[in-house]
Amino acid sequence: MAAENDIRITDIDEIVARTGGRERDLIAILHAVQHTYNYLPEAALRRICEITEITPADITGVSTFYDRFRHTPVGKHMVHICTGTACHVKGAGLVYEAFCRELKLAPDEDTDADRLFTLQKVACLGCCTLAPVVQIDGVTYGHVKPDSVGKVLKDFLARKGRKPAAGMVVHAGRPEAGEIRIGLGSCCIAGGSASVQDAVRETLDEIGVSTTVKRVGCVGMCHRTPLLEIDLPGREPVLYDKVAPQDVRRIVLTHYRPDSLWKRLAAAVTRRVEDTFLSDEPEGFTRHGLHMRDPHIESFLGRQQHIVMELSGQLDPLDLDEYRRGGGFEALESILREGSRDRVIAEIEESGLRGKGGAGFLTGRKWKIAAAVQDEMKYIVCNGDEGDPGAFMDRMILESFPFRVIEGMTIAAFAAGASRGFLYIRAEYPLAVQRVNAALKQCEAAGLLGDSILGTGFSLHLSIMEGAGAFVCGEETALLRSIEGKRGMPVLRPPYPAEKGLWGHSTLVNNCETLATVPWIIRNGAAAMRKLGTKTSSGTKVFSLAGKVRRGGLIEVPMGITIREIVEEIGGGIENGRAFKAVQIGGPSGGCVPAAHADIEIDFEELGRVGAMMGSGGLLVMDEDDCMVDIARYFLTFTCDQSCGKCTFCRIGTRQMLRILEKICGGTGTPDDLILLEEIAHKTRERSLCGLGRTAPNPVLTTLEYFREEYEAHLQGICPAKRCKDLISYTITDNCIGCTICAQRCPVGAITPLPWEKHEVVQELCTKCGTCFQVCPNDAVLVQ
Amino acid sequence: MKTITLTIDGKKTAVPAGSTVLEAARGLGIDIPTLCHLDGCEPFTSCMVCVVRDLKTDKLLPSCSVTAGQGMEIDASGDTVMAARRDTVEMLLSGHAGDCEAPCLRACPAHMDIPLMIRRIKEGRLDEAIATVKRDIALPAVLGRICPAPCEAACRRRPQDGAVSICLLKQHVADADLASNTPYAPVPAKKTGKKIAVVGSGPAGLAAAYHALQYGHAVDIYDREREPGGALRTGVERERLPLAVLDAEIDLIRNMGVRFHQSTALGTDLSLAVLRKKYDAVILATGTIDPLLYEKSGLEMGERGLISDRNTHETALQGVFAGGNLIGESKRAIRALAHGKRMALSAHQLLSGEAIQGDESRFNSILGRVRSEEMASLLQAGGERRRVEPAGPREKGFSAEEAVREAERCFECDCRKPESCRLRRYADELHADQKRFSVGERGPVERIVQHDLVVYEPGKCIKCGLCVRIAKKEGEPLGLAFTGRGFNVRITVPFSETVQQGLQKAAKACVEGCPTAALAWKDRTPPPRKAPTKDTKDTKK
Repeated sequence: MAAENDIRITDIDEIVARTGGRERDLIAILHAVQHTYNYLPEAALRRICEITEITPADITGVSTFYDRFRHTPVGKHMVHICTGTACHVKGAGLVYEAFCRELKLAPDEDTDADRLFTLQKVACLGCCTLAPVVQIDGVTYGHVKPDSVGKVLKDFLARKGRKPAAGMVVHAGRPEAGEIRIGLGSCCIAGGSASVQDAVRETLDEIGVSTTVKRVGCVGMCHRTPLLEIDLPGREPVLYDKVAPQDVRRIVLTHYRPDSLWKRLAAAVTRRVEDTFLSDEPEGFTRHGLHMRDPHIESFLGRQQHIVMELSGQLDPLDLDEYRRGGGFEALESILREGSRDRVIAEIEESGLRGKGGAGFLTGRKWKIAAAVQDEMKYIVCNGDEGDPGAFMDRMILESFPFRVIEGMTIAAFAAGASRGFLYIRAEYPLAVQRVNAALKQCEAAGLLGDSILGTGFSLHLSIMEGAGAFVCGEETALLRSIEGKRGMPVLRPPYPAEKGLWGHSTLVNNCETLATVPWIIRNGAAAMRKLGTKTSSGTKVFSLAGKVRRGGLIEVPMGITIREIVEEIGGGIENGRAFKAVQIGGPSGGCVPAAHADIEIDFEELGRVGAMMGSGGLLVMDEDDCMVDIARYFLTFTCDQSCGKCTFCRIGTRQMLRILEKICGGTGTPDDLILLEEIAHKTRERSLCGLGRTAPNPVLTTLEYFREEYEAHLQGICPAKRCKDLISYTITDNCIGCTICAQRCPVGAITPLPWEKHEVVQELCTKCGTCFQVCPNDAVLVQ
Repeated sequence: MKTITLTIDGKKTAVPAGSTVLEAARGLGIDIPTLCHLDGCEPFTSCMVCVVRDLKTDKLLPSCSVTAGQGMEIDASGDTVMAARRDTVEMLLSGHAGDCEAPCLRACPAHMDIPLMIRRIKEGRLDEAIATVKRDIALPAVLGRICPAPCEAACRRRPQDGAVSICLLKQHVADADLASNTPYAPVPAKKTGKKIAVVGSGPAGLAAAYHALQYGHAVDIYDREREPGGALRTGVERERLPLAVLDAEIDLIRNMGVRFHQSTALGTDLSLAVLRKKYDAVILATGTIDPLLYEKSGLEMGERGLISDRNTHETALQGVFAGGNLIGESKRAIRALAHGKRMALSAHQLLSGEAIQGDESRFNSILGRVRSEEMASLLQAGGERRRVEPAGPREKGFSAEEAVREAERCFECDCRKPESCRLRRYADELHADQKRFSVGERGPVERIVQHDLVVYEPGKCIKCGLCVRIAKKEGEPLGLAFTGRGFNVRITVPFSETVQQGLQKAAKACVEGCPTAALAWKDRTPPPRKAPTKDTKDTKK
């Protein structure tokens, strides 16, 4: 490890000088050190202890608690394999194994012999609609298959040297009316919107036309990324989806027709453009500012109600003026001018707004409690630590509507009497961090943050706290420990953070979706909010819809909508004509609701009644090919890994449940195991210290309740969905025509190519990756 | 200061505001088990063994951390609470990679603390070794020569490179003792004035007399032969057990004050009825079965022999206990010795007015088979790779130097805190079943011996973090840290330093604070006090 010797003490000293050397700065220091060395060299950690108040015990505890921090050197490039829920059901496990094979990694290795690539599983990259997803350094690959990993690596290496496309603002040149909008949320970027943006600029340069090319936030239609919209004055805006860089030229030319070029190029506009072209005729549907004839788009957006996502797809996330033109900061201004904390709290209470982070506690009541506490120092915290695999609402909100979050947070701070605050954002969301940072600076410059906001005497200072990869930090007491620079271990409540939070001071913690709802309520009134949703749950909820639906993405729907409406109308039903089996709502804290209950109206209480939970809003659709025992095992693998390890039942209970599930999936489970599983699940739910442990058994309990027959089938050695590897085998039937495709694609050589003859799978070699099954043109591969 | 009134187990109490429910309960004399809690350290709410039930909400609350609230009604001892605590202890035990008692000890019918004996041999403290041996074994020099050694069959080292020669070591300790000027003699308890008759002077009878005398009772042995010893004198080849050895050990028992009445046979020279009248308790260990004689006296006979309780050795007659070959044929003298010890205990319990319970059977965490990859960790205990064979004749046993070499082969499987471990104590009290929540393979056995005085065994750690908190409090420069997360969380010394480095001043506090034997003194006992090294300034706060 030559790297150890490369540590320059002065580098460390500089980092500490930049970040500060208090305990609370520890996570930031570690991020910076890792950024410099790609890992945390021990010499660096020792130096930090020498020059700060941080102790060796603290630095060891913290640096090993969070997933982002590495203690060993890594290869030149990091390969992050997303193991989020959507990726899992679409075969991320097989992709991971394929990378291991491709890089020739031994079972406990993560870096290849050439030290070129280091493989790492990551919780969720939040690109669920592109599942399975792999990210190599900054480059994201979607829909990766086990037999395409070689190509992915090759492509990545071929890209090296080329400058990665960065986000852009406005295309320079002589101004011309109209604008071209490009979706630049993380999904869009992962879908390739950066190259689309490059292509737009190239085309505009080429044809000598200059117009505003605008980055806009997420539209929610992540299944159709990248999205490109052209809005010319006097005409209806036109939206293109799934735009490839090679299509850009033709699309742009459809709208910008310089005479000299047009004749030459008109003929080149092929039929293919027509395919991507959604509509150019208005049809009375204008709520979203887009007009679309395509019934798919209409039904995707039609049932939605945008409060948090108001003006989605139209706002430049970092254009403060534009945000204010659309009513932004009006709410804050009116509140501050009026100056009544009680009235704000009353309005929020009246609106029935409930915490969107999972448990659904009444926001107004929370504010009231915080406001009533006497404390010379109070804090406000925006919880954006969205760690659930399969959830990407907070990411989208922070990336696309940073001003809205800041406005809501400022109103909340005013209500509670807080003067300092933190936005806790996952480090896995660099774009969100970057945008919120930029937005904070703009707000400060505009007098919307800082001392005496808008001259009213109310002051608030906000800063960003970057998480470091620990799901449990979504739990508010753990999150506060993390801001303090400690291991994210929850503590017993009460006392609640509102009474005793950061550094012992009163702290109001709200989820970022909750805060983003606040300005709308203030502007439109509590009654407007009450009009939406159900009796107990007013307003809307943002869900990330993913899994086996035709159209996945981010949706904001009124509470009370049924699961069926979401799956069938918004999601367009199940892809590939399979049968709808269940939805998993709420990620690792939630549960599986079977298709039979699809007509329940979604709100906090209804979901609780069927054993699920709103969670933070991941909504994963499953079809008949999904094994429910495998899903339970998947979530338990996650919670077991993410448990902080503090209390007995969560630490050991989740592990024992996982072991039982592994046994069952492996075909060696017994009826006694089912009884024990249920017992441990109930006890873990009852006896754990925090929400993580208390809800971790939900995936087990709901699948046991609704899909017990699948568990029982596994006890007989049968996986009905044919997912559990130990219980299935691949064989080739007489349908085989001897085309040899399967043999060529088999990654482990378990099939010998025999042209024109019936092929055979050598079971001893087969890793059950399913490639032969997928590639066989003649349905000659049988899974049983 | 404000006062809070609450009710715990139906008892009302008033405590200063801010007190925990645990403090309130202790004030009432209600004992609540705790593992992760230590007075003077801030609560951590990790183990959850201290749960109580809030009767108003029907919720289980960790009493160490919950603040007493006005008007609270707490159930601290009900069935639900006990069951919940038991669950918790069972959860913790499901991952406990350690034995409460070493396999050799468990296999020994007399339950001799073999690992402790071996430790003392290693340290050259044979006086303490013989005391350890003779706490449970009345005739160690005899047994060392004739015992089939079930302990050695159970020894963890056996499959690796041969069991530790426990029997020879015991012989060595006993022979050395016999050869000394002042052989070991246990000091009996104060005289009780009660009298016990022991019939038979074979191994069972001798052991019963030996132990009964130590309880402070007067003991008379009756035996039909001219000389004491029973089957030990008549049924063993002389070359294996020289008479001199037998006589020497019998003499020690006689010197303790046991009165021998030889050539006095039950049935002819004396009757059971008379004995029962003359003595407060009668212990039958005649070795031979004479159904007619016993049935006439009112005792019951079964297929294998006289019927007596397996544990207490009580017979159909009040105050009469039976053991040894009388209740079933066996060639193993150690079994007879164990019976003798138990009969003495039962008789003592009877005589002191206690319930006759026999040996208390304590909870035992069982590690089970050691996996081959774990062997390395145990082999650090050292010692030679094959059994040390005595250079001289077998009869003479080990030389002092050989004994130490052989003793060094011991893996020290014993728990170093068999008495003070709170996990074991609560497992006992709550009747925990270690297997209840265990699924799949147990956790790995690991033994970290990096400190002069302390052994760290992560497999026994319950991750309560007390040592982390204590080390911090004591101002350790490095201290200990939580590492990792979830099930894989473990306590380590920062920067891959050694435990020696991590615990420079807090070793004592950490070992004493650790609720299990994860951190323990190497030698099971605190090290002798040297010059005080503790910095008083650091411990003050």
